Amino acid sequence: MEPIDIPVAGTKVQTSRVFERDPETVRDEDLREAIWELGREGEWIVQPVPEPYYLAPTKFGRQKKIPLEHTWHHKSCGQCGHIPGYSTSIFWLNRLLGFDYFDPRDQTSCTAWNYYASATSNQAAQAAVAMRNFSAAYETGYYPLIHCGTSFGHYKEVRHELVHDAKLRRQVRAIIEKLGRPFVMPEEIVHYSEWMYAVRKQLSERVQFDLSKITATVHPACHYYKLQSGDAIYDPEIYGGQRTAAVTAVVQELGAQVADYSTWYDCCGFGFRHILVQRDFTRSFATLRKIEVMKQEANPDVVLTHDTGCVTSLDKSQFAAQAHGRNVGVPVMSESQFAALAVGAHPFRVCQLHWHAVDYRPLLHKMGIDVERAWAEFEADVEKIKHGEMEYLTWEHVL
Amino acid sequence: MGKADTVMIVGAGPAGLEAARTVAELGKRAMLIETKDQLGGTPYASYASLTPDLQETEHAMEHMLDAVRNNPAVDVRLNTRVVKSEGNLGAFHVTLESADGAQSVEEVGAIVVATGFQHFDPGRETQMYGYYEYDDVITLVDAEKMFKEGKIVRPSTGLPPERVAFIQCVGSRDRQIGNKYCSKVCCGIASKQSIEIKRMLPNAKVFIFYIDMRMYGFWEDQIYWKAQEEYKVNYIRGIVTEIIRKGDKLLIKGEDTTMGRPMEVLMDLVILSVGMEPSKGTVEMSRIFQIPREDHGFLQVVGGPLDTVSTPVPGIFVAGAAAGPKDIEDSVSMGAAAAAKAVGILNRLTLEV
Repeated sequence: MEPIDIPVAGTKVQTSRVFERDPETVRDEDLREAIWELGREGEWIVQPVPEPYYLAPTKFGRQKKIPLEHTWHHKSCGQCGHIPGYSTSIFWLNRLLGFDYFDPRDQTSCTAWNYYASATSNQAAQAAVAMRNFSAAYETGYYPLIHCGTSFGHYKEVRHELVHDAKLRRQVRAIIEKLGRPFVMPEEIVHYSEWMYAVRKQLSERVQFDLSKITATVHPACHYYKLQSGDAIYDPEIYGGQRTAAVTAVVQELGAQVADYSTWYDCCGFGFRHILVQRDFTRSFATLRKIEVMKQEANPDVVLTHDTGCVTSLDKSQFAAQAHGRNVGVPVMSESQFAALAVGAHPFRVCQLHWHAVDYRPLLHKMGIDVERAWAEFEADVEKIKHGEMEYLTWEHVL
Repeated sequence: MGKADTVMIVGAGPAGLEAARTVAELGKRAMLIETKDQLGGTPYASYASLTPDLQETEHAMEHMLDAVRNNPAVDVRLNTRVVKSEGNLGAFHVTLESADGAQSVEEVGAIVVATGFQHFDPGRETQMYGYYEYDDVITLVDAEKMFKEGKIVRPSTGLPPERVAFIQCVGSRDRQIGNKYCSKVCCGIASKQSIEIKRMLPNAKVFIFYIDMRMYGFWEDQIYWKAQEEYKVNYIRGIVTEIIRKGDKLLIKGEDTTMGRPMEVLMDLVILSVGMEPSKGTVEMSRIFQIPREDHGFLQVVGGPLDTVSTPVPGIFVAGAAAGPKDIEDSVSMGAAAAAKAVGILNRLTLEV
């Protein structure tokens, strides 16, 4: 590929035309009224979004309720396995803001990943897993907040099927009743990055470092905004409302620069099923189509995204490309980790960057974080655990 | 003349104008209602020339406007909207509201709704074309506005483009966004505009990216082959999926389905062939006159292909793009047909009395 000099214009639109949202002209279904109607007919219990909630604008200008607290955290198998600092950062930010949340142990894997790889059972079984998790949240009194972009997209597809297919609804209801659980549909299906969007101003008030010299590129997750796209967050202030505002709005609010690049819309390489069936393709795509393009066009200090598969693919694929001398080597993390760092979270105790494959230290230095001191503190923790002086790190250690 | 001798026509585009003229010619009174301050509708307001013969729109439509303006049997009400309707065939009581808020109730025997279409907004669901991000991504209508000034330039620089791409089916034939229909005229308009661009800028390269070109009837000969053979316009099968800025150019990404491979090409100007949707007025009239809308959102007609103008509401007819995508010739024909049916039903009513 011949290098092309592109001016990095950030998120500014280059036209004076202004997009006017008109929900009246949109034919994409807004399922929320149907969900309430089915609730009134006794088909299921609707779990309302708890107050206080934030009203966020969606793609077509409808307002989506985002709960601020009393959230039940539907975690991600990929996050917990590959990027534990991802979820920890979300919890840490909740604690920092003084929000009441619930970290459940009663949760099952969402089945979405295998479903996209055509390797999972059947429609009713998948829907039953989603509804089982919703009922588990409801029973605690907390509202489900979905960490994983893949689960989020899949649950919205399940919701669509359940609203439109009475036979499926009855099948799944019978399964949930056999489990002795209530049959519950949440009023909104909410992704954690929407919660990040909702609290961005509160976080920006607590920023500890000058981030104005930090350039980030954003990779929005396909599962977040390309599936059942109507209720993804689109903010008129961000890209003129023409691209999802998730991640970007948070990063800008924190004071960092967001740079554009030409493969913004492309998948990270994870590709719904490619990581399972064509792993080499995933690795090449992640590095050659995404990371190298970002490096060439925007030379970012960090790549930020909001899905487990995206962080994993973009971060860990770079190792192989580096071995071949390619133009890669950009740290990748979730915006929750980046925001946590910005407001003072420990890079290792909280954000657990030592799990990441690409060298993140130049970024931390540039942010103004004393990496060596932080690493020494973390090693001291490990020594204490080794010598039995401490069983494990607790929230008291890290707040 | 009494109420049963008056046909109200809502909308003064080609269909409404023709309906009003025909009603008058058949000896009844026409009341022509238009929300805007001028006659002629969308083509007159937005298009520099007509498809397929490239006649200048204002000149070509002037005789239609005159036939209505200077006709004592046509009562033209500009800056006026319909806000309510009661009654039924032979005695509709329609409340009109002028721009200053004054209301009046008119009694008419039959109604022709000719409230037309609006162009699909390319920022609504196909954001990937960047219409609200880049100045140099424009629509067919924006191009016509430039043609009215006798030029075609890149809005970002004011300079003539060297490479121009049209993208077909923006907001049409797209199940993902819910518009499951062809808008009929965009292929013709794009081909017409490509000829106009080549006439103005003979050295420019012009590309049309399409799913398949739908040049019905004479348009095939009048503009499609002419654009290719005389003006060397390049037709490329395969739709563009995304547009981004590269330097001072636009990079379009998509798939060339003839060659069977992905493509990335730099352009100076991209013109989106935006399709048709029911206008706000059409949706509003559906509510006020209780006319059901068919599956695609346009006003429903009852006769299928054999009666294109009768709605399920007795005494109310539809003409032009309010009933679905239409070119000007179909709109005008429907205007006349709706007027004839409206007058016919009023005549029968008078005989029965």
